[in-house]
Amino acid sequence: MGKYLIRRFLQLVVVSFVISVLVFMLVHLLPGDPTTQILGANDTAANRAILLKQLGLNLPLWHQYTIWLNAAFNGNLGTSYLNHESVTHILATGAPVSLELIILSQILAFAVAIPLALVVSRKPNRALDNISTTTTFGLLALPPFVVAPILVAVFAVGLGWFPATGYVPFNQSPATNIHDMILPAVAITAGSIAVYFRLLRSDLISTLQQDFITMARSKGLSNRRIMWRHAFRPSSFSLLAAAGINIGSLIAGTFVVEALFAMPGIGLALVQAVEQRDYLVVQGISLVVAIAFVVIQFIIDFIFTIVDPRVVRE
Amino acid sequence: MSDEHGISRRTFMAKGVAAGGAVVLAGAAGSALAACSSSTGSSSTTAATGSAPGVGTGTPVPGGTLAVGLLSEIDGFYPPQNHWDTSGYIYAQCLFDPLMAIAANGTIQPYLAQSCTPNSTSDTWTLVLRPNIKFNDGSDLTATVLANNFAALKASLLTGQALTQVVSCTVTGPLTVLYTLSGPNPGFTAGLATQVGYVFGQAMIDQYNSGNSAPTPVGTGPFIFKEWQPNNHFTATKNPSYWRKGLPYLDQITLRPIADTIQRESTLKTGGVDMIGSTDPNTIKRFQGQSGYQVVDSLTGVIGEPSMAFIMLNTAVAPTNDLRIRQALAMSLSQATVQKIFGGGFTQPINGLFLPDSPYYSATGYPAYNPAAAKKLVASYKAEHGTPTLQLLTITDPRLAQVVQIIQQMWSQVGFDVTISQIEQANLISDFISGKFQAATSYQFGAVNPDINYVWWSTTTAGPVGSIALNFPRNSDPVIEQNMLTGRHTTDSATRIAAYQTVNKQLAKDLPYLWLQQYIFSEVATSRVQNWANPTLPNGMKGYAFDEGIFSPTAIWLSK
Repeated sequence: MGKYLIRRFLQLVVVSFVISVLVFMLVHLLPGDPTTQILGANDTAANRAILLKQLGLNLPLWHQYTIWLNAAFNGNLGTSYLNHESVTHILATGAPVSLELIILSQILAFAVAIPLALVVSRKPNRALDNISTTTTFGLLALPPFVVAPILVAVFAVGLGWFPATGYVPFNQSPATNIHDMILPAVAITAGSIAVYFRLLRSDLISTLQQDFITMARSKGLSNRRIMWRHAFRPSSFSLLAAAGINIGSLIAGTFVVEALFAMPGIGLALVQAVEQRDYLVVQGISLVVAIAFVVIQFIIDFIFTIVDPRVVRE
Repeated sequence: MSDEHGISRRTFMAKGVAAGGAVVLAGAAGSALAACSSSTGSSSTTAATGSAPGVGTGTPVPGGTLAVGLLSEIDGFYPPQNHWDTSGYIYAQCLFDPLMAIAANGTIQPYLAQSCTPNSTSDTWTLVLRPNIKFNDGSDLTATVLANNFAALKASLLTGQALTQVVSCTVTGPLTVLYTLSGPNPGFTAGLATQVGYVFGQAMIDQYNSGNSAPTPVGTGPFIFKEWQPNNHFTATKNPSYWRKGLPYLDQITLRPIADTIQRESTLKTGGVDMIGSTDPNTIKRFQGQSGYQVVDSLTGVIGEPSMAFIMLNTAVAPTNDLRIRQALAMSLSQATVQKIFGGGFTQPINGLFLPDSPYYSATGYPAYNPAAAKKLVASYKAEHGTPTLQLLTITDPRLAQVVQIIQQMWSQVGFDVTISQIEQANLISDFISGKFQAATSYQFGAVNPDINYVWWSTTTAGPVGSIALNFPRNSDPVIEQNMLTGRHTTDSATRIAAYQTVNKQLAKDLPYLWLQQYIFSEVATSRVQNWANPTLPNGMKGYAFDEGIFSPTAIWLSK
């Protein structure tokens, strides 16, 4: 187990380094540079040269990279060229919003997908199963930018149950925070519900045909006990793997949802920074998000070793 | 996601104001614009009071919080370093005051200044500040602070160019400064109504000079900065010591950037905000005549020239460097069809930069829709160079996608081989600057004073392809240059009008721009929001009510 974890950790370090190089290079491969945004109509050759020097963008790329990486190791990811806000501050204020959105959406996804899969897998191909499967298939085809306006039209403008846009930090008003978060979380979670439900249903149907389930039934155990204690755990490996992989699409989903619901998360900050060629903000957010993604995968791998010790042996 | 496109206020329009300030400072007298304005643009009202939209009636009610949904976020509050677009000016109107302001009749009137008078040759100007005005940190507004403002603005890469004609700003008294210009400029005061004329406190300068790139806003404005969470909200509270007695009426104002138009409208409908701005004509359509809402738009009441939507043609690359091709493109483009899609049916046919109620308006000779004549021109070109192929650039915007597809169809029908390319806005601007485009959608030019656009049309800013040039279409026309300079320097109103009419005609002849329609700004408010399009200047004159989407919060109140 120890060797396995050390090996995975070393892989994490290498991947993080590669990510840092890729993030830096990809940002600089984008056409244009921040001087266009900063100078606007004063974008003369002379002004541009002065500004490039001021921003250190006249240095060779490798030099810029080492300066940036060195500062990043010291916790300084730089400041926005445009509004002069530090990238760490942008992350500190934006990450809780995005993180809360992702966590809430996953809680909602599991809360819907797991019970539904447990119910329909007992009697597959019946009416409820068919309805659920068809509905989730439809959900899978609906991206957040389609779901969000529909939710707003029905539940905000139509019924007036939720606000159309807005965000109040949890520490200011927990109730308002959760209330404001529900529509964005539902918008982002629709696809997750479909994926989790379909995977778990399929695995449960397969597990319920195993001999140990027949044995449990013959012992007279209740259906509830069989489903939760005997069938659910061996059927949840795919679900767990999917949840890990899904983090990437959830992060991408927050970019859209945060912009639509005017939520000050890192997704919105990143989209704006890309549009404005605000290199340091793009690099800082991309690096942190990418490393967070890798770390989450590492944690999920670790959880796998607990849920299924065969993973380590293999 | 954003409904702003082309060269947005966020990028170039706003900066055009700053750079254009250079031109404005060197520009024509505001008084000549007096005849340009009409009443506040307003398309409908269903306000409970039955008043004109945005104009309050009855006794103002003090108190309350106004929440406004804006098109975009600001990048900061420090005038020498930050870019103020439509939204930026709304933030600025809360915290700062300008030295001069535009009146409803188009003249430039004193605001923080008590007076601003020229010498006989208009190359030195004496500005006297109003007495007994304090910044919201308790410090006094003095000539020294104003001179320090000037030094910071002049030293900035962003705003310095706006002040190139101003050689110095010298303190000559406790409240008096003397601006010395490098040449005559009868329109100097117009520049003081733009970003470079908004006065900020010494504390901001000191903070910036000590390394704080984002100093806390200190101004003389009607509201005091309380908090700003970028991309979420900005809140300012009433300035209890505001120098304009009895104002403001509101206790607090909150500004919320909501990029998506539909979401902004939904937020208004659900009570999340009391007012919203929009650049989508469909917003007018959706709220016009609806009970409980008031709509003000820029379809009427424009002072000077409106923002224009157009196809920009690069006159320095083939095939658009051939006048026959530009004429053929103009003649085969049905403005009416485009306006149906893009303008929501609100806009009128246009032949140039000015609307019919402007004194600069005249017949321009802009080519009429004539596909048969366009076909002949294309055939003539084809005989020499083969089929003209063209790439039409636009940004990723669903409305624009529809428009460019229609245009592609029109042009293809007369013999062009047209491909459409949708790119990111930042890339499009880069391509404009370096001249790496043939045809592209854009919007630009809204200005109280036409001289503000000198930088976009001058022969001095038209560089070769590959070099940085602000004359994006590279249309180097000496007639335009000469008339822009005439319009800038003359004190005679008739001469100025003739000069700008000539510029308009030359643009119709050269065809660097194929006009599509006026770019429309609108503001929608619930009926309880009073007096948001009815500003009064300190001298009692009516102010410019709705300057390209910008409104003043100073005299707004909320009805019970």
